[in-house]
Amino acid sequence: MRYGILLMGAPYSSQAAHSALRFARAVAGRGHRLEAVFFYHEGVHNAARLAAPPQDEPHLVDGWAALSADHGVPLQVCIAAALRRGLLDEREAARHGKQGHSVEPPFELTGLGQLVDLGLRCDRLVTFGP
Amino acid sequence: MLLHILNRSPATSEVYRQALAAMGPDDRLLLIEDGVQGALKGLVGRFGDVRGRLLALEEDLAARGLEPLCDDSVVRVDVEGFVTLTEEARKTVSWF
Amino acid sequence: MENDEEQDVAGDLLVILRHGPHGSSWLREGLDAALVAAAFGRRVTLLFMGEGVTALVPGQQRGPLGQKGTAPTLEMLEMYDIDSLLVEAEALSRLGLDGDELMLSPRRVEAAALPGLTACHSLVLTF
Repeated sequence: MRYGILLMGAPYSSQAAHSALRFARAVAGRGHRLEAVFFYHEGVHNAARLAAPPQDEPHLVDGWAALSADHGVPLQVCIAAALRRGLLDEREAARHGKQGHSVEPPFELTGLGQLVDLGLRCDRLVTFGP
Repeated sequence: MLLHILNRSPATSEVYRQALAAMGPDDRLLLIEDGVQGALKGLVGRFGDVRGRLLALEEDLAARGLEPLCDDSVVRVDVEGFVTLTEEARKTVSWF
Repeated sequence: MENDEEQDVAGDLLVILRHGPHGSSWLREGLDAALVAAAFGRRVTLLFMGEGVTALVPGQQRGPLGQKGTAPTLEMLEMYDIDSLLVEAEALSRLGLDGDELMLSPRRVEAAALPGLTACHSLVLTF
């Protein structure tokens, strides 16, 4: 089956991101195709390039990147929700005259249309909220 | 059959009422995260008619030390079981 | 919910809005998802549930720092052809609101009809 995941919880603030990552791996492990993970609301913070959790805690940002690398899963971040919260990739940082950037591949800033498309294209969309 | 997913404890949040209100007679309710507190003997009564269609994520119970306190009427599933539930349901609705 | 009524509201996307304006971004971000879906030609139903019914109270204003709130966005729904607007009847009575005085004249949905609503849309998003 084709799955999509919508994550709306910030990392380390609620369990939502842990649950979503755990579920994502289980979906892939059962041989399903995970079409994308879409990050919306406070979930956009999962794309924070500079996240530096203590070494004895799961590194969620790296965890998403590993999921993407292992299973070819696009990591789509709502651009409107991200820009408001200071999450900018190189292109957006340049466009807004900011030094440095806070989002890098495999996370990609994209429009909300991608969420609608994901939800209606997949057999299942599972939401994880805070 | 739809799978509803609840991550809030009925002890502190009214969100479980919204989940119950939206559930059809064949729908299932999976408790995850703080929602697993709803599986405790003292709280499971809040889910009324759903008993038998009420499930809880085992690893979230275990992490909280709640496994021994889980009511017998609640079906425990591991994370693969969670995925299976989503396969069997036509769609999922999350309540948080 | 009767079958013909179910047909009437069936659509691609049901967006359930459960938060009032100003206190969080849930309402705004939920409405944004609905507007984008409608702009892509999808049939969208909005259900104002629980505290979300306060989104429709008339007379809303900007916040003290100039926060826009969501009332201006609600005014745009018609332009996007989102005309399936539902409000949870039980929430209205719990909050003591008069359904007839709400913005946009939403249709009241009794508790018994809620399961039919979640069942008859391809995708349900809760905010």
